[in-house]
Amino acid sequence: MTAHPAAAAWAGQPPAPGDLRLITSDLPLSLAEHIDRYGPPQSADRDPAALITEVERSGLTGRGGGAFPAGRKMRAVADASTRSGRIRARTSSVVVANGSESEPVSSKDEVLLSHAPHLVLDGIALTAAAVGADGAYLCLGAHAPTAARAVAVALAERERAGLNAVPVTVTSTDGYIAGQETALISALNGGAALPTFVPPRPAERGANRRPTLVQNVETLAHIALIARFGAEWFRQVGTVRAPGSALVTVTGSVARPGVREIPLGTPLREVLRRSGLMAGAQAVLTGGYFGTWLPLPAAEQVAVSEDGMRAAGAALGPGVLAVLPDSACGLAETARVLGFLADNSARQCGPCRNGMPALANAMGRIAFGPPSRDAVGWVEQLTGLVAGRGACHLPDGGAALARTALRVFAADLRAHTASGPCHRAGRAPALPLQNGLGR
Amino acid sequence: MTGAGHVSAIVVTSSTPLWYATRATGLVALVLLTVSMMLGLLSSVRFQRPAWPRFVTLGLHRNVTLLALGFTVVHVLTTVLDSFVSIPLPDAFVPFISSYRPIWVGLGAIAFDLMIALVITSLLRTRLGLRSWRLVHWTAYLCWPVAVLHGLGTGTDTPAGWVLALTACCVLAVAMLTLWRLALTWADRPLAAASGVVVVVLILIAGGAWLHAGPLAPGWSHRSGTHSAAARK
Amino acid sequence: MNSEPKKSQPPGQVELRVNPIACDAHGLCMELLPELISADPWGYPIVRGGPVPLRLQALARRAVADCPTLALLLTERQ
Repeated sequence: MTAHPAAAAWAGQPPAPGDLRLITSDLPLSLAEHIDRYGPPQSADRDPAALITEVERSGLTGRGGGAFPAGRKMRAVADASTRSGRIRARTSSVVVANGSESEPVSSKDEVLLSHAPHLVLDGIALTAAAVGADGAYLCLGAHAPTAARAVAVALAERERAGLNAVPVTVTSTDGYIAGQETALISALNGGAALPTFVPPRPAERGANRRPTLVQNVETLAHIALIARFGAEWFRQVGTVRAPGSALVTVTGSVARPGVREIPLGTPLREVLRRSGLMAGAQAVLTGGYFGTWLPLPAAEQVAVSEDGMRAAGAALGPGVLAVLPDSACGLAETARVLGFLADNSARQCGPCRNGMPALANAMGRIAFGPPSRDAVGWVEQLTGLVAGRGACHLPDGGAALARTALRVFAADLRAHTASGPCHRAGRAPALPLQNGLGR
Repeated sequence: MTGAGHVSAIVVTSSTPLWYATRATGLVALVLLTVSMMLGLLSSVRFQRPAWPRFVTLGLHRNVTLLALGFTVVHVLTTVLDSFVSIPLPDAFVPFISSYRPIWVGLGAIAFDLMIALVITSLLRTRLGLRSWRLVHWTAYLCWPVAVLHGLGTGTDTPAGWVLALTACCVLAVAMLTLWRLALTWADRPLAAASGVVVVVLILIAGGAWLHAGPLAPGWSHRSGTHSAAARK
Repeated sequence: MNSEPKKSQPPGQVELRVNPIACDAHGLCMELLPELISADPWGYPIVRGGPVPLRLQALARRAVADCPTLALLLTERQ
């Protein structure tokens, strides 16, 4: 794919392998600065199919947690919109940019939108053209005022520059489960912000009953760069199976918590070192509340990428890395997070509605209750009972969290089972809980 | 007065096999429809015993309803074929156009139409989707009482003791199960449940009052419009 | 997350699936198909994965038709 003719007039260079790609300044880039940094936005009259092929070749996967190949998703929506058109040649599809970021510990989407809103908006415009969408939604989290402001300013700039060919409607999402793909679409359709049963998949029938492309805002930002600089450029960093860079939110027992851009496949130790890993860290929660535990320092070598994490029995998810200090009790933290998940589930599916609170209580008994021999067995049984039996993956996440906790905090588990809660369990929670839950 | 009495006497004493069949199939259909209602209500209250799994309730409900429909069809046919009183086929489907006891035959047409709708939508349930099916199925609560009223209003056997007793048993059974069904709703929606109970009680009282002043009072066949159709075909 | 395509089935096979949102634990399916569906501690169905054996397919269709909330589904592959 050759660069757009107008890009030839641009005097800049694509980001080099060692450079940051997504967030390159402390303040939001204005439209002029954005064009200066990355080159002009690609216009919508380019061959839409070429972009889909380029994204497929780049190997970009969704950065919202699902890690689904972005190109394949785009192709599915483009095909669905061509297939379902009867009177016209195509049924217009819809693009939904998911920036709701309902994971309490994640802030990468908010940071991205606050600093590089034009990258995301470029991505929306490009994917809209590629899949034949006549409208787009940008869903922001309800508690991200800086992002909302930056987006509003950026949209106004683009309006003046005539870049809003496809209208973008900004919406606000509140609530943990509301950020889930089908829940988001259900809310956009005027229903409750709760997951729906699949099929029909959003790619087949989603917002306004039309083929819908739901992508995380970071994924769209990468697509905007791939459109400019190509698949080969994208693959200059990262690994063969996990190409490109990604934003991670590093928090917890580190000196410099925050959002970082890393090449995928970077060893965990290196990522944490850059954030100033403090001494006395016992484990890291990867992927968010919906995620898994990895032991420290044992898992230092694990590559931070979806496949690298999976090989270690963990999940990268939306790139959350929360470091747990030695002073905390992993079992207690897990119990609280499970309680959070149980409280924030949609309560639509019996196994989850019953199983998740039971799981949270069972883990709570291990963490805070008197010594008990059969509590662990009940937790293990519950993880098997809830996983895969809901309409969304919340119970799967809870099950994985519980299972990895039992493995990673095995020593604490033995101590708790024999003699009751450790003194660390009574401390203030190390992991924040959005609705203030905690013991 | 004597004229009307004379006409009623003609109607009652001129019994043909078809007329017997109409009355018999009508009563059987009513009993079967009542059993169907009861089974449907048992299903909605999730009735289950070790020796009575839920699929038995559902299977019986389906089969009894089909049987009820079958008897109703025969009931309609014998009525239409009976040349003594002119009730052509359209009267069985379009309510209130009959010249014989228009209101009460009309109620029968309504019940018949609803039964057909209920059966067809249930056969096509998986294709229709739950919402549409449920919407139509709610009309069962209308279909059954309308059928009962039809039976009491048109039935020349209504004043007979055993018929009254049979009808009373049917009404009591369905009323009790309906109250059980409403009791289940009490936890979630007490207002809806309470209104339902009030409605059931009012219907029972109103029905009883109507029965007393209507079919059980003298001169019913005249008041219900028998004489206007006593003309031969 | 929910966009992954389903695993493909050999042709002519059917598989049982529960819509967990529609399911209200009425329990008819597990009465009709105890070989394939069992109850969890709260009465909700646990469906054994994989294709439905030929001899049970008629029962499976009946269970699908009988489900009070139409939560049981039979997915077919030509």
